[in-house]
Amino acid sequence: MTNGTNNGAEVLENLKLELRRGCLIVAVLAQLRTEQYGYTLRKALADDGLTIDEGTLYPLLRRLETQGLLLSQWREEDKRNKRFYRLSPTGEQILEQLLIEWQSINASLGKILQEA
Amino acid sequence: MSTTTSRTSEELVQRYLQAVRFWLPKTQRQQDLLAEYGEDLRSQIEAREEELGRPLDQAEVSTILKNCGNPMEVAGRLGPERSLIGPGLFPIYAFVLKMVLLWILVPVFIFIVGPVNLANVEGDWGRAIVNTLGALWSGSFIAAGVVTLVFAILERTQALAGMTCKWDPSRLPPLQKPERKTSFLQTFCELVFNVFGLVWLLLVPHHLWMILGPAATFLEPAPLWHTVYVPIVLLAIANILRPAVILGRPQWTWFPLTTQLVQSTFMLLLLNFMLNAVSQPASGAWYPFLTLADSVKNSPHFIRIAAVVNVSVLISLACTWIGVCIGGVVQTWRLLRLIRKQISIGRQAASQPVR
Repeated sequence: MTNGTNNGAEVLENLKLELRRGCLIVAVLAQLRTEQYGYTLRKALADDGLTIDEGTLYPLLRRLETQGLLLSQWREEDKRNKRFYRLSPTGEQILEQLLIEWQSINASLGKILQEA
Repeated sequence: MSTTTSRTSEELVQRYLQAVRFWLPKTQRQQDLLAEYGEDLRSQIEAREEELGRPLDQAEVSTILKNCGNPMEVAGRLGPERSLIGPGLFPIYAFVLKMVLLWILVPVFIFIVGPVNLANVEGDWGRAIVNTLGALWSGSFIAAGVVTLVFAILERTQALAGMTCKWDPSRLPPLQKPERKTSFLQTFCELVFNVFGLVWLLLVPHHLWMILGPAATFLEPAPLWHTVYVPIVLLAIANILRPAVILGRPQWTWFPLTTQLVQSTFMLLLLNFMLNAVSQPASGAWYPFLTLADSVKNSPHFIRIAAVVNVSVLISLACTWIGVCIGGVVQTWRLLRLIRKQISIGRQAASQPVR
């Protein structure tokens, strides 16, 4: 019984992770419509209810940058070197399309849940 | 005081980053990522200091670092995704490893290395078993290591990438009946291994060490092998043709089982012939499978080794005979089941109304 509960909790955790994964990319891209550096971005996401750990965020930022969706530069602020990120022109277009897709999925899901 | 505290916390952060760096690849990208991660840590400390209105002490900085995780764990998250053998190659790797360890290494140790060890320690079973198990243990590690290394190289060089990329949906085999369970990969690996098996079989008469190991210096094949060698080679060729046909004509669902049964029958006949030949020894010493070289013919030590090896080969042939018999029964039953299913499908199709 306990094993079943543990297994259920583990399955839920994995499913939540999968669900969050795609949403996090949209959230990060949307936040970076204004320039931010890693820590402030993480804080802004957490303040809006989407916590993300450093080990996930920074590799994700690099991947999005490699894909051409973000631009970054090291700059000194408060006597410390920080890497600032912002959405690239390609990133803006992609974000727009992703938001349309997101709204469409959301609408479909809403309809499905209403029917149920 | 404040400067000292901040120096202490900075030192702790530096030490933490150094520990993370140890586990990361030394590429520019990773070092850059680490610098950014360090900046995040400092920002976290700064934010906490602002919240408390005072500099953090070492214990408080330690708590922040502890919350971030163990350096090795953090490096795992920050570093590139790495795997020795990726999911694409893993099924073939697991199959080859299983084949090498269970179907090659273990039989070689049981039927060749074990008897030779037993003869070398003059019949001391305890010592022979310990020596054989010890050698099997280290041999398994070496074999597993070599197979893993080969697949790791294949993974890095993407040598098999072409095999998985070059495919055309229109060339896929027709829809299979549910009873066909043999996968493409399994059949392909079977084909490759059987080719290696045939090459090995063709080389063995010229390089006896390939089957006898160090014992090849004093043991020679008995005349029986001259009679059965060609049928064995023919069986090995059939073993190559069979998976090749299965790959080429996957829609022939009857083919794998029928040919397997035919092969088992021939193998059984061959084994019967060999076992009968053993039970009718010629005059003199009993060397049905392996004889002694002229140079050691009269040495009692080598006579004992030859006897043990001959008995081992006989036992292995008897075991194979039993295995093939059991296999034959199972194959017959599966073939009958398949035929019954085909007949029932045919009847169902005939009884359905035409629209």
